[in-house]
Amino acid sequence: MRLILHYMKAYKILVFLNILSVFGFALAELGIPTLISNMIDEGVLRQDSAYLIHTGLIIALISVIGVLGTILLGYCCARISTSVTRDIRNDVFRKIQSFSHAQMNEFGVSSLITRTNNDAFQIMTFLNVILRTALLTPVMIFVSFTLTIRSNFNLSLIIASTVPVIVLGVFLVGKFSSPISERQQASLDRLNRIFRENLTGIRVIRSFNNDAYESERFDKENRYFMKQSRSLFKLMSSTEPIFFFVMNLAALAIYYVAAGMINANTLQVGMLIAFMEYLFHAMLSVMLFCTVFMMYPRAAVSARRIQAVFDSSSMILDPENPQDLTDIESLVFDDVTFVYPDGEEPVLEHISFEVKKGETIAFIGSTGSGKSTLIGLVPRFYDVSDGSIRINGKDIREYSLQDLRSKIGYVSQKAFLFRGSIADNIRFGKKDASQEEIEHASKVAQAYDFIQEKPDQFEERIVEGATNVSGGQKQRLSITRALVRHPQIYIYDDSFSALDFATDARLRKALKPEVKDAVMMIVAQRVSTIMDADHILVLNEGKVAGYGTHKELLENCSIYREIALSQLSEKELAYA
Amino acid sequence: MLNRKASTKNCIKGLLSFMRPYRTKAIIALVMIVITQGAFALNPMVEGMITSQLTEDAIAILDQVPGAHVHFDVIFRIMMILMGLYLLKTVSQLITTFFLTDAIQGTMHDLRNALQKKIQRLPVRYFDDHPFGDLLSKVTNDVDALSNALQQALTRVFGGILTFIFVITMMLRINIWMSVIALLIIPFSLIITKFVVGHSQRLFEKQQATLGELNGTITEMYGGFNEIILYGKQEDAIKRFEDVNERMCNASFKAQFVSSLIAPLISLCTYLAIGGVAVLGCIFVIQGVITVGNLQAFIRYIWQINEPLSSISQLSGQVQSAFAGMGRIFGMLEEEEEVLENPNPIVLHDVKGMVKFEHVQFGYDEELLMHDVNIDVKPGQMVAIVGPTGAGKTTLMNLLLRFYDVKGGAIKIDGVDIRDMPRESLRSLFSLVLQDTWLFNGSVYDNIRYGRRDARKDEVIEAAKMANVHHFIRTLSQGYDTQLNEEANNISQGEKQLLTIARAILKDPQILILDEATSSVDTRLEKMLQEAMQRVMANRTSFVIAHRLSTIKNADLILVLQHGNIIEQGTHESLLAKKGFYEKLYHSQFANQESA
Repeated sequence: MRLILHYMKAYKILVFLNILSVFGFALAELGIPTLISNMIDEGVLRQDSAYLIHTGLIIALISVIGVLGTILLGYCCARISTSVTRDIRNDVFRKIQSFSHAQMNEFGVSSLITRTNNDAFQIMTFLNVILRTALLTPVMIFVSFTLTIRSNFNLSLIIASTVPVIVLGVFLVGKFSSPISERQQASLDRLNRIFRENLTGIRVIRSFNNDAYESERFDKENRYFMKQSRSLFKLMSSTEPIFFFVMNLAALAIYYVAAGMINANTLQVGMLIAFMEYLFHAMLSVMLFCTVFMMYPRAAVSARRIQAVFDSSSMILDPENPQDLTDIESLVFDDVTFVYPDGEEPVLEHISFEVKKGETIAFIGSTGSGKSTLIGLVPRFYDVSDGSIRINGKDIREYSLQDLRSKIGYVSQKAFLFRGSIADNIRFGKKDASQEEIEHASKVAQAYDFIQEKPDQFEERIVEGATNVSGGQKQRLSITRALVRHPQIYIYDDSFSALDFATDARLRKALKPEVKDAVMMIVAQRVSTIMDADHILVLNEGKVAGYGTHKELLENCSIYREIALSQLSEKELAYA
Repeated sequence: MLNRKASTKNCIKGLLSFMRPYRTKAIIALVMIVITQGAFALNPMVEGMITSQLTEDAIAILDQVPGAHVHFDVIFRIMMILMGLYLLKTVSQLITTFFLTDAIQGTMHDLRNALQKKIQRLPVRYFDDHPFGDLLSKVTNDVDALSNALQQALTRVFGGILTFIFVITMMLRINIWMSVIALLIIPFSLIITKFVVGHSQRLFEKQQATLGELNGTITEMYGGFNEIILYGKQEDAIKRFEDVNERMCNASFKAQFVSSLIAPLISLCTYLAIGGVAVLGCIFVIQGVITVGNLQAFIRYIWQINEPLSSISQLSGQVQSAFAGMGRIFGMLEEEEEVLENPNPIVLHDVKGMVKFEHVQFGYDEELLMHDVNIDVKPGQMVAIVGPTGAGKTTLMNLLLRFYDVKGGAIKIDGVDIRDMPRESLRSLFSLVLQDTWLFNGSVYDNIRYGRRDARKDEVIEAAKMANVHHFIRTLSQGYDTQLNEEANNISQGEKQLLTIARAILKDPQILILDEATSSVDTRLEKMLQEAMQRVMANRTSFVIAHRLSTIKNADLILVLQHGNIIEQGTHESLLAKKGFYEKLYHSQFANQESA
C-alpha cells in the first residue's frame, strides 16, 4: 500500500480532481433524491405543478453536472492508474538494470518478467477500483450524513451508526481474507507447475509408470486449492448480503424513529423519503466497495513482489575511489576460492595462475568442474569469496565496473542476439563502428560469408529469440560483436562448440593476429580447440588438476590425457 | 490437427454433467436466487406502504382531523413484514453464496482433475502438434475464467434478469405511463453501449498489441542481461524500455477512458428518466392516480434496474471469455484417447531382453516414414542407433515404448508382441533418458528417487555416485535436499542430464534407452558414464542414440538409419570395413579434427 501511495504523490492534482469528481457523482446520486423529496413536500402537498416542472429542470441540470463529474472521474482515474503503472515499471526496469548475477539468479528471469509486467498490471487494476469505486462509499456516506444533519440530527445519527459496523466488517474481512488469498495464489502457482511438469514430462512419466502418482500429486494440490477458493469466495461474497442487512436494519430504525416524529409533527414525509434514498444509495456504494476485497489481496501480493525488487541490493559494488584502468598488462588469479551465495561447498578452490598481454589461457574439465564460474569472476558476475583477482597488480574490485567491463570481450556459451539488423547487433559492441570495422570483424569471426548469403546481408533482421540464424551462426555473430570492441581481455565460454572443426580451426587462425595485444581466456570441450594455448588449466571438481602446455599435460596430467584420448586417437595425439 | 472446439451445446451438456454430483446444492442455490430477487423486488413496495401510511396520517394531522395520529399498529405490522423480507433476502443470499460456491468450486476441482487425467490418456501424438502453452492455459486461464464467470456472472446475470422481470412487473402494476418513460432507458443504454464498445474495442486491441511489444522488450532485455551489463548498455536499454512503456501508458489510458464513458452515459439516461418520472409521478399523486408510497417505490425501481444494466454490459465480456474457454476445455476432453489394451494381456516374467522389430511400418501421418524395419537384438546387447537428424532414431524408441503404435509388422520382446502386453508392464521394463531433461519441482533427492519411489536413501546416493553427479550435488546449497525449480540457473544442462541418468540407474530396468542423453556432458565424463553404465547394464539390453560416434564405437550392434530405414548394421569394425554410409559419417567427424 505504501508503494502505491508513494507513486501517487506525483499526481497530487489529478488525485485531488479525482476526489472532487467523486463529489460530483455523489451530488447527482444524492441530489436527485433530495430534489424529489422537495417535490413531494412542496409540490405535491401544495399542489404546485409549476414548482414541479421547475424542480424537474434542476434535476436535469444536476444530472448533467453529475455525469460530467463521472466522466472527469473516469479521466482522472485512467490517467493516474496508467501513469503510476508506467512509473512503477520504469523504476523496476531501471532497478533490474543495476542487478548483479546473484540477484538475477535469486529472482529468476521469468519471475522478473512477471514482476515488471503482470504485477504492475495488478496494481493498475487495483488503483482503478480504489479511485473509481472505493472512494465512493466514504464520500456517499459523508455527503448523506451532512445532508441529513442539518435537517434532522437523530436520523443522521442512524446513518452514521452504520459506519463503525461497516468499518469493522471491512477490517475483519480484510484480515481474514488476505492470508487465505495468499495461500490460494501460492497453491494456484503450484497447481500450474505440476500440470506443466505433467505436460513436459509426458514420456518420462509414462516410461516410469508414474501416472497414478502424478494424479495423486495433482489431486492433492487441487483439493487444497479448492478448499482455499471455497473459503475465499464464501467470505468475499458473504460481505455483500451482510452489509446490506446492516443497512436494512438502519432503514427499519429510521422508519421507527420517523413514525414517532411524524406523529409529533416534527418531520415531513418527503424528508423521510429522501432519507431512505440516501440510505439506498449508500447501500449500493457499499456493494461496489465489496469488490475492493476481491482485488486487495492480489494487489498486495503484487506490491510486495515489486517492493522485493526495490529492496534487493547488489553485492557487486563500485569502489569509492576507482583506480584508472588503461592498458592491461597482466591478469592474475591469486589463490581464488569461490562459494556461491548460500552454497555448501566451494565451486572453486585455491585457483592461481598468471596470464600476460598476448598470451592465451585455456580451461578444460568435466561438466560441473567450475570452468564457466571461473571466467565469470573476471567481469565480476560474482566476487571471489577468498583470494583475489588482480589486473596490473591491483585487485579488480579497485576499478570501476564500467571501466573493467569495457575492457572485456565476453562471448558466452548461449549467444544472445537482440531484435534488429545484424549490423545493429554487431554495433552493440561499439556504437560508432564503421562499416569497414564491422566487415573486418565479421571476416575474422568467419561470419562474413554467411552474412553475405542472407538476402539483406548486414541489414538482415534478427527476429525475437534469433530463431532465424543457426546456433553456429549465432556464435560467430556474437564473436564479431566482441571483436568490434577491440577489448583487451577476450573471454570465450565454450563459444566454438557449435562450429564444425574446420570453421573452428580457421577462426582460431584468423583470431591470432587480432588478439596479439590482448589476454585471451578460452573455455572449451574440444582438445583440438585449445592444444596450442600458452597455458592450459585442467579443472576437476573445482580444483586445479593440471597446469601447463598441451605437451606437458599429456605427460603429467592423467585427467587431461583421458580427455584427449576420449577425443583423439593415439596417432592424432602423437601428430600433435 | 488444430485445437478442437466443442460446440456451445456440448459445452453446456458437458458442464452440466460435471455439475451433476453437486446438483442438489446448485438447484437450491438457484431457487434461493429467485427468492432473493423476489424479496428485493418487494422491498420498495412494502417500504412504500409505510410511506403511504405515514403520508396519510401526516395529512390527517396537518388537516387537524380530530384524533389524528400515526397508526403505529399498522406501521409496526408493515415493518414486521419488511423485517421478514430483509431476513429472507439476506438468508437466501447467504445460502446461495455458500451452496453455489461449494458446487462451483467442486465442479472446477473435478474439471481440473479430468484435464490432468486426460493428459495421461491422450496418445503422445497429440502433444506433437499442440503447444504446451496452449494446453496449460486450459487448466489455468480457461478454468479460471469459467470459475469466475460462474461465481460472479451467474448470480449477477440470473439475478439481473429476474430483477428485470420482477421490477418491470412491479412498475407496470404501479403506472403504465411512468413505466414507458422508465423503460426508455433500455434502448438508449443499448445504443450507447454499442457505440462506445465499438470505439473502445479498437483501442483495447491496440492496447493488447502494445502490451505484446512491451512484453517482448522486457523478455529480450532480461534475457540479454549478460550482454547488456558486459557491454555497458544499461542506459540504452532503459531508454528503449521507457519509450515502449510510454506508448503502453498512452494506449491503455485511451482504452480505459473511452470504456469508462459507458457508465456515466447510461446513468445520464437513468437520471433524466427519474426526473421525468418524478415530475409525472407528482402530478399523478396530485391527481390522486397513485400514492406517494407508490411514487417512492417506482423511483427506487428505476435505480434498481440501472444497476444490472450497467453491470451486465460489463459482465458480457466475462461471459464471452468463459464460453470461449469452455469450448476449449470440452474440446480437449472430447479428444480421442490411446487405444485400449488387449482384453487378455500377457504379462511377462523374468524378461531376458530380446527385442525384435519384424517388418515394421510406421509414419506419423498418412505417409509412411518406415517401410520395412527389421531389427534383432539379443539379450544383453548394447545397440547404437546412428544417422542424420530426422532419420527416425527417436521414432524407433517411441515405437518400442508404445508411445505410438506400428502401422504394420510387429515389435516383440522375448517373442511377445508388445501390443499384447499391458502398457504398464511393458513400460516397467524400460528406463528412458532423453536429451531434454525432465526434472520436476522438488528436491534433488525426490527427483532421483522418481525412478523407483520406494528406494532407500543409500540406494539413491549410490545411483548418484554411479552417474558421477554425487560431488556436484554436494556443492549445492542444501545438498540432496536442494529444491530444483524451473529457474534452476546454477544447474547446467549437463548436470541435469546426469541427474536423469542417476534416476534411470535407480530404476534398474531390463532395457535402458539413452536418447542423446549425454549430449551436454563432456567427452571424458561421457566415457566414464558409459563405463559405469556398462557395469550396471551387464547382461541387460540397452539402446543408445548418439551423434558423437566416438562414444558408440564399442556397441555390439550399430544400426545406421536414413530416411526411416536401416541402411547398414553391424559392429564398428565391420561397418568401417564396408566403406559405406557409416564410414563416411565417421570420417566426416574425425577428418576435420586432423586438419586442426
